Amino acid sequence: MSVNDALTGLLDDRAIRLAETAADRDDAVRRCGEALVAIGAAKPSYVDAMLARERSVSTYVGEGVAIPHGTLTSKEDIERDALAVLRFPDGVDWDGERVTVCVAIAARGDGHVALLGELALVLLDPERARLLRAATEPDDVRRLLTPDEEE
Amino acid sequence: MTTINGSAIKTLVVACDAGMGSSVMLAGQLRRQLKKNGVTVVHAAVAEIPVEADVIVTHQGLADRVRGVAPDTVIVSIQLFIGDPAVARLVSAIQTGSDVGE
Repeated sequence: MSVNDALTGLLDDRAIRLAETAADRDDAVRRCGEALVAIGAAKPSYVDAMLARERSVSTYVGEGVAIPHGTLTSKEDIERDALAVLRFPDGVDWDGERVTVCVAIAARGDGHVALLGELALVLLDPERARLLRAATEPDDVRRLLTPDEEE
Repeated sequence: MTTINGSAIKTLVVACDAGMGSSVMLAGQLRRQLKKNGVTVVHAAVAEIPVEADVIVTHQGLADRVRGVAPDTVIVSIQLFIGDPAVARLVSAIQTGSDVGE
């Protein structure tokens, strides 16, 4: 299986939701968690761990992007490794930062490492970061987060 | 104050609470930047930091917990997982063989 096939497995189409709204940060994290639960990647209790993590240390990573995920102990609530990408076109206040895209994570293993590495590169490139914030099609998101095969 | 020379760093650990999010992103960047420097970059939960760590990078909110786990290892604490100046200084110290302190 190639790296990119593995990524497709991690990033289910049903978990790419690009026209979400949320009242506040907690609401946004809950929606992220629910997307992971809906695809069978995590138990409902994982959502509470995601909220707890966000309240202790923010997962905001810059360029309007946050990466909500659970705590160490909540790994037992993960059914399989998966990501969800939720876009909030109106923005969500995130402790003073404005978040437009959440990349939610449920991971016990390291299968998502390449994709998060690519996300870091996207965030370091203002133009690609802008494209991610503006993405309206799941394929746009997938293309931005797929590493080049030769790396 | 604990210090280490950049040239002595063989294993760099990026630690966060669960070891599945922010530390993964930062480790990916560092692996890329230090590819030519013979440094092994790993990400880990604070509770699972490997003993061979020569230097540990972590969020400042977790630095005390990391110190409890690895009292004798140099800890670089950061505020941003993307573009933190302390990370840039660490990379430069490894590449030029200068000292890294806390």
